[in-house]
Parts: sequence; structure tokens; C-alpha cells
Amino acid sequence: MQDRSGRWATATAVIAVGLLLGATIATAQTTDYRAPRTGDGHPDLNGIWQSINTANWDIEPHAAGPGMVRELGAIAAIPAGLGIVDGGSIPYRPEARAQRDENFARRLELDPEIKCYLPGVPRATYMPFPFQIIQSSQHIMIVHEYAGAVRTIYMENHTLPPAPTWMGWSNGNWDGESLVVDTRGFNGKTWFDRAGNFHSDALHVIERFTPRSADILLYEVTIEDTNVFTRPWTMSMPLYRRVEPNAEILEFRCVEFVEDLIYGHLRKQPITPER
Amino acid sequence: MNTNHRFFNSGSITAAVIAASLLTANLVGAQVPNPSPADGYTVPRTPDGQPDFEGFWTNATYTPLQRRDGVTGEFYTAEEVAAIEARALERESAQTVPGTTADVHYDFTQFGLDRSQVTLATGLRTSLIFDPPDGRIPPRTAEGQRILAQREEEARLRGGRWDSAENNQLDDRCIIMGGSGPPMMNTGYNSNYQIVQNRDYVMILVEMIHDARIIPLDGREQADPKVRQWMGTSRGHWEGETLVVETANFNGKNPIHGSTENKRVTERFTRIDDETMVYRFTIEDETMWAHPWSAELLMKQTIGPIFEHACHEGNYGLYNTLVGARLEEKLAAEEAAARKPN
Amino acid sequence: MQTRVIVAIVGVVLALAASLAAIPVWAHHAFAAEFDIDSPLTLEGKLAVWEMINPHSWFHIDVEGPDGEVVRWEVEGGSPNQLIRNGVTQYTVPIGTVLVVEGYASKDRTNKAVGSNFTLPDGSRLFLGGSVNARR
Repeated sequence: MQDRSGRWATATAVIAVGLLLGATIATAQTTDYRAPRTGDGHPDLNGIWQSINTANWDIEPHAAGPGMVRELGAIAAIPAGLGIVDGGSIPYRPEARAQRDENFARRLELDPEIKCYLPGVPRATYMPFPFQIIQSSQHIMIVHEYAGAVRTIYMENHTLPPAPTWMGWSNGNWDGESLVVDTRGFNGKTWFDRAGNFHSDALHVIERFTPRSADILLYEVTIEDTNVFTRPWTMSMPLYRRVEPNAEILEFRCVEFVEDLIYGHLRKQPITPER
Repeated sequence: MNTNHRFFNSGSITAAVIAASLLTANLVGAQVPNPSPADGYTVPRTPDGQPDFEGFWTNATYTPLQRRDGVTGEFYTAEEVAAIEARALERESAQTVPGTTADVHYDFTQFGLDRSQVTLATGLRTSLIFDPPDGRIPPRTAEGQRILAQREEEARLRGGRWDSAENNQLDDRCIIMGGSGPPMMNTGYNSNYQIVQNRDYVMILVEMIHDARIIPLDGREQADPKVRQWMGTSRGHWEGETLVVETANFNGKNPIHGSTENKRVTERFTRIDDETMVYRFTIEDETMWAHPWSAELLMKQTIGPIFEHACHEGNYGLYNTLVGARLEEKLAAEEAAARKPN
Repeated sequence: MQTRVIVAIVGVVLALAASLAAIPVWAHHAFAAEFDIDSPLTLEGKLAVWEMINPHSWFHIDVEGPDGEVVRWEVEGGSPNQLIRNGVTQYTVPIGTVLVVEGYASKDRTNKAVGSNFTLPDGSRLFLGGSVNARR
């Protein structure tokens, strides 16, 4: 009879092997769809894509709720969401859950999105802005409209991150019909959403992009961070192609929109808001 | 330390010079000739059959935008450029003198940022501008002069540079830097680009401030003129071996070279050998200049990666400087108050 | 046809000298406003972390005062991007490395400075090697 430690050891080994193979803990959704190929023979993920959900508000299932800025009324209110976290709940360590709750209470002050800071991964994927995949043999670029955030996915000559960054350092591989992206080297300053869900600089993200039809990608993410979570966990969602013939990534160069917020108290003569 | 600085390759420079030398004055974007690849050179193809421009490129150069006083002629000799560059490199990497303004700065050479430690895209031109033939930005229109005076007055009314964040240069505010444009100008350091292509787009990543220009090749119309952007909106197409990019819809908030929101830029990229891209641009802005003007920079293959230039996120310097400016004012006010007789 | 330019090299160099700054003048003015030219300093301390960030990197150094109290200083350096292309990583300068910094104190009068020169105790210049005497 297996004792408790034996079962946990076996489970850990299974998880480790699963991660090595790029599989997710939850049963991976299968698809029979075979995407057209690029000129160098890989599944063609080129295009402008966007998620449709409220994950950027809160990646866990949540009810609608009031916003933080009274004057914005319903515009700033929180829409409900069924959540994108597989299993519904993020497996925080107890002290980390307390940190998350404090983040939520102080989100008006602490959410990096408010200051137009780069959103990190995977948050950039499910922000309410489109992004474009530009795919070539050695590099796959992901360019986000939000803050012009850029991700370089190195498809050859994989190296370790030279130093921490906001968007991490991404190495990519093809696994059948899927692009698998392994990202490390985060600086720990990004959040997963506006609700204060967070991670440390030990964050390790594994993403799978799998075409499931001409205009839909299946996006599955595994999150590991032993500083913050008791175990790896996963999230998943469809990504939808922006099919308008003139779809285009526009600028959301938000630095100028937040300068008064960040530097306004250091003006020589403060602007007196008109009431 | 491994340096990848190279002096010019005379063969590629000669090819560029020959290709560039057939010019007439006041060329509009449609008239600027496309350079040809060097004799015997076949530009490699992408898997989609298009000229392959992929890789890491730099446009670092000492060539000035405008021809300097006392310099006549469109090109230096190779020997003259070598001498000019050698002196410029020596001056740039010379150590600063303690107690001087220049010394109140980190040492560029310690961070590999001076031009002696990087690939130089050396050319023989006496100025980047080749049209008009005098190598200078054309004179301003009357309206252009009025706009310039108005901008100067607005700047004066805004107050001192350190009165607020918004009073600073766009670079200090981490909004946009000179390498983006368009036109894409050389910067003092990190003057690098990464080009990634697919069948329908060319992406040019400008190192500072991680600006990704995404240029569609599908022949779509220009965006509605109400959609104004810092880098405008770009539309590209191939003319043989040359990528032609036309950009409009600038928001006018980044008056590079004095331009207005009416600026239109035509860029032409031609790879003339494995290491060299010829980059030409034409600026048309009838509000500011009576004539279009054109310039040429070379781009040279260099090494990657392009590390994340998260400028706004790391902009402690702007914050600290504003804190210091307000502190100095406060201390000066206290000192003045203390000096007043009772 | 290539146009030959007959220009005295000396004349050309003189013409260039006046305006050929490595970096535009505005950049130096920004630093001269952030740091105090009248407050030069020398710090010696152990590296706690080198923030390899843009637009400028920051060295966090623990400096032990005469009373034994350790004070954390933050010293501004250059963009790390070219060093990274040359193979430098976050592990190149190990935590605890003793650094000698010559520079100027921040005008905001917190424990911040710009490092006009970073050297190691053996006299070599950070990322350059060689003798510290080469600086002057």
C-alpha cells in the first residue's frame, strides 16, 4: 500500500514529466484542425488576435462589483467573470494570499497597469487590446497594442535570460500543431490582473498556442512560482482573430496619459483641478 | 572586451555611392531612385520569396544630417572619412575631466555605449541629406516660420525644463526617441533595429523605446486621417528589390526637424550586400518647407539581442530630478526668508 | 561619378569639433540637473544588486560608514543593452563585489549618485579592465 509521501512523490513526478513535455495539468483540449503552413513549414499563427473575457479584471471567477473611481460610475465598475483559472482558484501559499488581499485593497495605488507599466506575461495576452503575431523562422514577435509591449520569442539558439525584465525572456519550440513558449526572467513587478493577483521574480510561464480553427487559437498557460504558490496551476482561453480586413495594431502610448498621475505632485505650480 | 567595431568596407561603400549619385534637386518620394544591389550580389529570399531583410541592423554613424559650413561636394574620399572617424572616435571615447559638466555622467565607454565599441554604418557622404544638393534642410515657408515662433513662445510660457515632467524632451519623458521616426534617425547609442518579416508584414523593432513598426504589404489604403499617431500609420510595398514605405497621419507632437502633423515620409530600403542596407527617406511637409527633402543613412548588420528598453518603467532619473529641483527651490526660499531683516 | 572633395583634414576636424558630441547636449544637461557638480564623492561598498534596466542602470551598493553603520547607496550607470550584446549578464558582477565609485551626489539629497567611474579594488575599471590611471 502506498503511503502518503509515496502518492505525493508519484504525483510530483507525473507533473514534472508533464511539464517537460509541455502538457498542462488539466486535460489538454484536443483538436483535429490543421492550420495552413508558413513558407518554412510551420503552423501559421500570423495575424492580429485578441481575447474576449474579463480576465484582466480578475482571473478568478468573480461577481460584478463597484469601481474605484466614483466619477466614472459604471465605466469603472467590475464586470463579472467565470474565470480563466483551471479549477477556479489560485493555489496561493497562505502568506501570499494575504498579500493578494492587500494588493486588492490597495489596487488603486499598486496596480502597475494604472501607471502604464508593461503588463508582463500572461496578462498582456488577455488585456482588452489586440496583439499581433509576426512569425519568422528564428524569431516570433508578439506586439501588443497596450503600451506597445513587445515580446521576442527565440525559436533558435535558446539562452537563459541575461537579466530580469517586465515581459520576460521567451524561448519557443514547435510541438506538433502547437507553439510552446517557455518564459523566465521576470522582474516580479507585474500582476496577473487588476484584482491584485501576483507573482514573484521566480515566475516561470509555459504557454501553448494551438490553432483550433482558421480564426481561433487555443491558449493554455502553466504558471509556476514556488515563492507564491503551493503548486503549479493553469489557465486557458480562446484567442480570436481580428477578422476586419483593415485590422491594425494602433498606438496606445499611454505614458503621456499618466504623467500627471506620477509626476504631478512634483510640479513647480500644481495644477488646481476645477470642480 | 570583444568589440565589433568595423571600419567601412570600401567595396560596399563604393557601390552605395555609385548607386546614389544620380540625383536631381527637390525629389519627391516617388522620384527618389532606388539603389541597386552591388554587382553580382543576389539578395537572399525569405521563404515567401521576398527580399530578406531580417536580422539586427545599426545605423550608427558620425555623418551629420546637414553638410557643415566650409564643406563642398557630396562625398568625402575614403581616406578623409577614415581620418574624420578616427578623430571622432578618439574624442568620443576620451575621458572626461573631473569637475566639468561632461564628467557629471556615467562613462559611456564603461558601458560599451560609445561608437568605438559598436558596428559603425560608415558612409562617404558629407551629409545624410542629399536633396537639396546643398545638403541642408530647405528654408522654411512663411507659415513654417510662424509655427516655429509659436512653438518657441509656447515653450517659453511653459516655464523651466524642470518645472514639470511635461516640460521635458520626449526622450526624457520616455515617450519616443529619435530612432523611431519615421524617418528613423541614428541615435548616440543603442542605435539598433531588428527586422522580422512574414508574407504580409515587415516588422521593424526600434531598440529605444521598444517601438515595433508593423508595416502591412497588402496594399490597403491609408488609415483615416483622424487616426493620428506618434509614428503615423505606414503602408508598404515592394518595388523589385526595394521596400517602399509611405507614412502619414502623424500627430504633430514630435516635430522632428521642425515638421508638422502634415508631414508625409517615404522610406526606401534596399539591401545592397550581405552586410549593408541603404535607407533613404523623403520628407514632404508643405506647411513647413517649400520643397521636399531627402536623406540617406546606411544600415549595417550587427549583433543582437535587443534587450527590453522599458524606459518609462525605469525612469527614476526624471522623478529624482524633479524632487531635487523642488528641494532646491524650497531651500532657496527658506534661505531668502532667513535673510530678511525683522 | 564620385565627386572628389578637397578639404583640409584639419579644417574638417575643426568644423566637426564644435558640435560633435558623443551624445546630444541635452542628455548631459539632464544629468547635470539630477546630480550636483559641486558634490563630488567617492564611495566604496559591496554590490547588493545591479538593476540592469533602461534608460539607465542602477547599482545598489552597501557602504559601511566609519561608525560601522551600513548605508545603501544607489548609483546611476549606463544602459546595459550593449553590454548584454557583449555577453554580460546579471551574474557577471557577483553580489558582494566591492566597487569603488567616483561620482557626484544627487541633488535630491538622498543616498543617490551618478558613477562617473566604477572600479574594482584591484584598480581595473568595470567592464574595461586595465588600470584606473588610464581614466585621467
